[in-house]
Amino acid sequence: MICQCARLMEDGKIVFIGYGMPQIAAILAQRLHAPRMVQMYEFGAVGPLPETPFVRFTMGGPRNCYKSLAWTNMNTIFAQAQLGMVDLGVLGATQIDQFGNINSTMLGSDYKHPEKRFPGSGGANEVLTQCWRTVIVILHERRRFVKKVDFVTSPGYLDGTPGARERAGLPRGTGPWRVVTSKALYGFDEQSKRMSLLGVLRGVREAEVLKEMEFAPLVGENVEELEPPTSEELRVLRHEIDPTRAIIGKPARS
Amino acid sequence: MDVLQAGVGEFTVEDPDELRAFMRTEKRREMVDKVMPEAEAVRRYVKDGDYVSFDFSSFTRGPASLVREIIRQRKQNLWFAAKFTLMESTLLAVAGCLRGIDVGFLGLGSLIGKAVEEGRVKVTEWTNGTLTLRHLAGAMGVPFLPSRNLLATDTLTYSGAKVVQDPFTRKPIALVPAVNPDVGLVHVHQCDIYGNARCFGPGVSPLETAMASKRTIISTEEIITTDDIRKEPSKTTIPYYLVDAVVYAPFGCLPGGAQGMYEMDTEHFLEYMAASGDEQKMVAYLDTYIHSVSSHEEFLEKRVGLTKLMDLKRQATIKEGYH
Repeated sequence: MICQCARLMEDGKIVFIGYGMPQIAAILAQRLHAPRMVQMYEFGAVGPLPETPFVRFTMGGPRNCYKSLAWTNMNTIFAQAQLGMVDLGVLGATQIDQFGNINSTMLGSDYKHPEKRFPGSGGANEVLTQCWRTVIVILHERRRFVKKVDFVTSPGYLDGTPGARERAGLPRGTGPWRVVTSKALYGFDEQSKRMSLLGVLRGVREAEVLKEMEFAPLVGENVEELEPPTSEELRVLRHEIDPTRAIIGKPARS
Repeated sequence: MDVLQAGVGEFTVEDPDELRAFMRTEKRREMVDKVMPEAEAVRRYVKDGDYVSFDFSSFTRGPASLVREIIRQRKQNLWFAAKFTLMESTLLAVAGCLRGIDVGFLGLGSLIGKAVEEGRVKVTEWTNGTLTLRHLAGAMGVPFLPSRNLLATDTLTYSGAKVVQDPFTRKPIALVPAVNPDVGLVHVHQCDIYGNARCFGPGVSPLETAMASKRTIISTEEIITTDDIRKEPSKTTIPYYLVDAVVYAPFGCLPGGAQGMYEMDTEHFLEYMAASGDEQKMVAYLDTYIHSVSSHEEFLEKRVGLTKLMDLKRQATIKEGYH
């Protein structure tokens, strides 16, 4: 999942990084194929080259902010995202629907009496609203790929009708771009805005992937076979970034 | 300007002229020594029922010792702005200090979620960005600021934002109301006795928090002279007249770190995480680290210890940019 996510981070782009797993993916991308990628953090760091080994819980601290280009603050960073400067954002989520709307707030049908309460938006709403493209990283479980999310924390393509985001006042040409799980990779159909299966991890059957979803995604004719982590990716992850296994091998919670 | 949609979340807005009147009469223009013990600062400036805002993070440059003192004094019915906080909402909620939280990010661990599920703590939904923007509006003395965030979500429905048609471009836009906290808590690297303060490194919103808040309590790692402040004014983050109290609190961010000075205490965070899903363990945690010690000094001496302090200082090997 970390490697699939890192592979989506392009060199030379400005990428908004959230807490935890996306931090590891970003360092991996920088070390392997994207040395000129600029990491951006909501608390204000721009362009750091984080120190490794990666220390658990670090984010605003000196190791993660090492050798930054600029240190600003939250209003400045989100203003720059609103201005259109951020190419890619990476987010976790509790639930996602077929149009890429995500929930990280609560489970249950009654907001006043949630069955389960989660931390809420954090900066996720800003990321999915403002970044040109957003990658959503989520565990491959049926209860997470739902027909309708219990709560729209951050906006995907809403009801999927053409121009729905723009009609609501959201920035033109933005929205969820890829969904990464431990087994599959999805995109969104340009016309219908429905989630579509782009790739399945080598050794995993397509039916197995689809069974773990409450809705049926579009399935094209050329579903790609996704390569498992390469030995080079594993070497950087295991020896440079996370030798103590603080994050690798732990399930991604949101 | 027609209101297209209005959130139903609880919030209050200050009248900007009332705010100006407060700033005119209540914020001192004279440079007076504001250094006082943390117990006195909290007793004087934090009242039951207050809206309390906090700058930066539990991991980095957070005013942790001030939050512990608020809990120690058993303040009640506070409303807390959780714009980038991870553990404080849980500590305050389990300690019985909280009425509600502006979320932001609710916090780590399942206990705080449970408090919301059971209705013991109310929430109004925002996002880290819009909650910080509300502080900027409060800092500017305007009643609201526009944002393109929140739109078309349930987050907006349960916030206090309103959607209007922007009179200039005709596109829908969200307006978020200003927040003027009763008290803002900011931990800084250095300040003088009057409150001219320096924060190094990135930060969420130290200046906005100090400007928006009616009372600002600063805790500081070091007290320096005003001559030093005047030698390098571009380093000043917060000017003195925004500050009501200065608390000398070395290691005041613990278990978080202060950049360039000491690293966060990862072992302590693991201990906190282990307690954050279990009410009894959290009550014991509060007792150990807050109620059973009388002050920050005693916390450092009896609950952290010199060996740990020296180790965390030694770990802070990255100094560039933090002075």
